[in-house]
Amino acid sequence: MAGIKALVVLSFSGAIGLTFLMLGCALEGYGVYWPLFVLIFHVISPIPHFIAKRVTEDSDASSSACQELAYFFTTGIVVSAFGLPVILARISVIKWGACGLVLAGNAVIFITIQGFFLAFGRGDDFSW
Amino acid sequence: MSGFLEGLRCSECIDWGEKRNTIASIVAGFLFFTGWWIIIDAAVIYPSMEDFNHSYHACGVIATLAFLMINAVSNGQVHGDSYSEGCLGQTGARIWLLIGFMLAFGSLIASLWILFGGYVVKEKPIVYPGIAVFFQNAFIFFGGLVFKFGRTEDLWQ
Repeated sequence: MAGIKALVVLSFSGAIGLTFLMLGCALEGYGVYWPLFVLIFHVISPIPHFIAKRVTEDSDASSSACQELAYFFTTGIVVSAFGLPVILARISVIKWGACGLVLAGNAVIFITIQGFFLAFGRGDDFSW
Repeated sequence: MSGFLEGLRCSECIDWGEKRNTIASIVAGFLFFTGWWIIIDAAVIYPSMEDFNHSYHACGVIATLAFLMINAVSNGQVHGDSYSEGCLGQTGARIWLLIGFMLAFGSLIASLWILFGGYVVKEKPIVYPGIAVFFQNAFIFFGGLVFKFGRTEDLWQ
């Protein structure tokens, strides 16, 4: 089933992304765990999309103001996840090498989340 | 091998007209939040009042308020379409939009004033906070414009 293959690929890329994040914190020369705060942004990034999906339950329109607002906030959360490590590196709380690893991890994790929505987002009920 | 690139023609598979609102929302979100992260960066690097007077944050706050006001009313309400009748009515929507745009332009002008009056004229050694205030407000302003005018309400029908 195509779903299983996609699931395995996505879980692999998710693990790689988290590995980059952990490397940015735990390597010998770094040892500072502040970058783990970007995990908060990763967790809340799908929420605007779910809220918009729930509010505009069924409509024929190809887009709606609520959906666009959700895209706006999701983009903001993604920007914040990239901005936080850069600011931490600029005030030397973390080293620039750690910042680079965290940014790479961010990119991979957000691609994973987007891949999850592309692969499994169609036709689901989102009934919790 | 000879025909494998034929499957990659993507200009027909994405309808750019339908995606216009999505792209505009994403660009607006990018601009708006980048503006705020620029000022967070400046505030974190220069925490003292002499380098970065904390009252300069008011400029960005008013710009954000203006962004919210401008985007709270839809073009349909201002035009007077019978479908979207907000609680303000058509004239109220126009006045709301007017005040919103005046606050937006005002905060942009204020950021320029802060940069030139507070940093350039006084020949401060550290000018980055002034530049950060200006770029914050410029990004928030353009983010607001893109969000307001980059989207079309035809896709909402």
